Amino acid sequence: MIKVHTQFLSHFKELAATDEDVFELDRPLVSELATRICDRYGPRMQAVLIDPDTQELNARGTMFVDAKGRRICMADPLEDGDVITFMMGIAGG
Amino acid sequence: MESRLLRVNLTTGEMKGETIPHSIFERWIGGSGVNNWIMWEHFLTHDINCDPRGPDNIFVFGVGPLAGTGAGSGIKGRITFKSPCYNMFGDSAGGGKFPYYARFSGYEYIAITGKAPKPVYLLICNGEVALIDAAHLWGKGTEDTHAILQEELGDYPSKVHTLSISQAGENQVGIAGVVSDALRIHARGGGGAVLGSKNLKAIAVQGNGGLPVARPGEMLAWSDDFRKKIDGNEAIYGFKRRGTLGAVEMYQHIGSHFWRNNQGNKFRGDEIRSDNWVKKFQKYSEVCSSDCFIACDSKYVIDGTESEPSKKYIGETFRRPEYLTTGSAAGALDVRDWSEVAHWGKITNDYAIDNQDLSCSISFLMELKQRDLISNHDVAELFGHEQSLRWGNMDDIEACVESIVFQKNLFGVMFRDGPYFGALKYSEMKGKNFMKYAMYGKGGASFTEEVRPYPTWMNNMAVASRGADHLKGIGLIEKFQREDLSKMYFNGRTEAADLTIPDLKGACTALAENQVALLNSYGVCLFHWMLDPAEFTPQDYYGKAYAAVTGIERTPEELMRDGERICNLEKAFNSRVGMRREHDMVCERWMWEPNSEGLYEGAVGADMFNTVLDEYYEWRGWEKESGLQTRARLEELGMEDVADVLAKDGALALT
Amino acid sequence: MTAIPQKEMVTGSIRYQPGEEVPNVGTKLFALRNQCTECNACEVACALVHSQDGMVNPQMARLRIDHAPEKSSRTNPLGIGFVAEICHHCGNPPPCADVCPTDAFYYDPVTRAAVIEQDNCIQCMECVPGCPFDVVFVAPKGELLKCDLCGGDPVCVKACATRPEMVNEGKQYVRLPVLFFEAQQEFNRLSKQIPEAQDEIGLMQAMLERGEISSSA
Repeated sequence: MIKVHTQFLSHFKELAATDEDVFELDRPLVSELATRICDRYGPRMQAVLIDPDTQELNARGTMFVDAKGRRICMADPLEDGDVITFMMGIAGG
Repeated sequence: MESRLLRVNLTTGEMKGETIPHSIFERWIGGSGVNNWIMWEHFLTHDINCDPRGPDNIFVFGVGPLAGTGAGSGIKGRITFKSPCYNMFGDSAGGGKFPYYARFSGYEYIAITGKAPKPVYLLICNGEVALIDAAHLWGKGTEDTHAILQEELGDYPSKVHTLSISQAGENQVGIAGVVSDALRIHARGGGGAVLGSKNLKAIAVQGNGGLPVARPGEMLAWSDDFRKKIDGNEAIYGFKRRGTLGAVEMYQHIGSHFWRNNQGNKFRGDEIRSDNWVKKFQKYSEVCSSDCFIACDSKYVIDGTESEPSKKYIGETFRRPEYLTTGSAAGALDVRDWSEVAHWGKITNDYAIDNQDLSCSISFLMELKQRDLISNHDVAELFGHEQSLRWGNMDDIEACVESIVFQKNLFGVMFRDGPYFGALKYSEMKGKNFMKYAMYGKGGASFTEEVRPYPTWMNNMAVASRGADHLKGIGLIEKFQREDLSKMYFNGRTEAADLTIPDLKGACTALAENQVALLNSYGVCLFHWMLDPAEFTPQDYYGKAYAAVTGIERTPEELMRDGERICNLEKAFNSRVGMRREHDMVCERWMWEPNSEGLYEGAVGADMFNTVLDEYYEWRGWEKESGLQTRARLEELGMEDVADVLAKDGALALT
Repeated sequence: MTAIPQKEMVTGSIRYQPGEEVPNVGTKLFALRNQCTECNACEVACALVHSQDGMVNPQMARLRIDHAPEKSSRTNPLGIGFVAEICHHCGNPPPCADVCPTDAFYYDPVTRAAVIEQDNCIQCMECVPGCPFDVVFVAPKGELLKCDLCGGDPVCVKACATRPEMVNEGKQYVRLPVLFFEAQQEFNRLSKQIPEAQDEIGLMQAMLERGEISSSA
């Protein structure tokens, strides 16, 4: 069992109705975290988190990164105490 | 596909309509591509080294074929000219209602040369044209100018829509832009100064003509599909709510803001670092341009309860700040109150002035002051009186803005062409080298986001045809680490998505430039593509809409070559005015100073700069040593005629 | 001047004899005021769907977006906004058809919308003032344009920038769209649930604003 911290920014904050949360995971995998997030926050979160075609994390207009700023994907391992941040991927304007 | 072009010679008052034949669209797609060609042809018979503020410069307005035909991607007009502030290629896109209605007025392209003896405005109404005295408009801001023209021209045969300049344009300030309907600005490059130098205050359009669509049924089906794809994407819904302000929290987290002239990478101030403001103060809806399925823009009204500073602006209403409005105020200038950021957006728009050039000019001076490199006496010398120049102080900031707009004092005169030339002149005047604190690339002001951790963006700042510029080649693959896109475009290779290595970064710049050139030529907004670059590809997905509207059939590969051709014409223009590899560079801070905050702390531009630049030239097929184009590549692109012109000017690679 | 050919989006054509009872439109358009973003997507879509000659011209649309600075509402106290001027599909036969001297109107058998038969229309323009809401429009070349409900699938509603997103099943509106295509009853239910929906540009409201009835009436 590991503990993973999540941060939700802008639209994700709205969908989760909180800006951070903690998940206890049995399997130390991003896919496990994604499932748990969808369970906790419902179908709208799922719609933006998971690409229905590929079952990968949705990359369109989003940016999900670890504490070092690397984009994460479903197969990535997680460790106790990891912080994952969910953001909108926008630049310029 | 055919379009109407209006040629106006303001010196003689002669106005002539002509048809742009199908063959031009075959070669240049439309919009910015066609604009570029009109300008290129102009400078075959006029001296390309002319004074951009003189009568020989040309100002071209155009709007691409997908605009207003149900493509649902917004409508972006394009102005093209020789830039008075950077003295090279200049163009700028803008939304609003003007480009939409220009299409129904009878002329989709307008080319303006010469200089009117006295201030005038141009009216186009269902193919009829007139130059009308503008004495009553001279000296007015864009909001007033638009209101007066709407009042005076009435609602028939359609509402009046305008493109106008402010006092800054009249004063030929190099960083002055042109505003569409007093709402959306064509900011970059100094189009306002060109119109000001020609004594043309505004262009007004009216009309109820239609637009040809080759296959309406097919276009409708495409439109339906596009809408469904947008609606099925929750992330786009998130974007719809916030627009580009959605980037505020992301950049705060990863450390990509441009704080205090890019000395730091995070906003300070509790309120300013989150986009809660959107929810709190986004009161009414309005949209940036017509025919958009996303509609990311909205309006605010300040009621004085938002914060202490907001009491100064009770009742003020304008568009909600964009990210770069915020990046320039809350970032570059360290303004910490949202109502002040919004007010900054409003005044820069009303004065029709580029807020990137403006903020980088002001933040340059503020940093000199912060570091005690200049004394109060030096500041008084620039302003004619004491000016405290405190970070984030709106009184100081507005004093600087007005200095430039109204050319009030030495500071205004010195920085009328943006931070690079301003810093050069000031360094010379003081006999000291202050260039370390000027933020620029290729002579153009930096855009107010961090670029050091992103090699493609850095490269883009160095090579963009109109000076440091994110909108000429948005590097989505690397910034958002999109391995899927890297594989899609580079035969399964993933390096383009890895920020830490230089591989494929120059290639990414070239790729993005080609794609952006296509979208700009279609006359649509870049954001639909940016939100889903794997799906809404300019060469494939939009290519289908282009075919439905124009009847011009193209494979995705052919369209990518069309995009490349458009980029090459812009490059050729700059080569003709003498730009070479040494001009493709960025400022010292980006090159040598590591960035100081956030997840990508410690990135230094110079680490990868030259490797990436070499690779960019390689992918472009240009000569590395000189940065010049080669005849071989130009001929491959069907640009023999351009190669001949370059050869004559000694601006073609010798190899 | 030759008229521009129009493609009516209807499922068929029914004509009624004078005096015969005409069933009313069931599902119809509703527009909320001051939620509109003036993106003109509805106008372009309408023009595109009815275009037969390969031209798109929003001046040929059967609805218009108007700037309505004077209209204020609860959600928008300063009254900055736009409204979609739509056909309200009055009780059949509608006033526009009632005043037609050539009987140029027919009815769609599915939607029961009154539609103008361009071939029978003599462009006398009687229907323009005949419409209580100014939503029979005159095209640049004189044709009279009236909403035909696109045969039951109005494209303007689909194109509206404020439409509810598709992931939102069951019409759980987070924010309301400007344009609705609903039965009156369903719309009433919605407007009870969501206060903003009470800002509909309804028949009574429009007549009040036009001074045709007074609020005490």
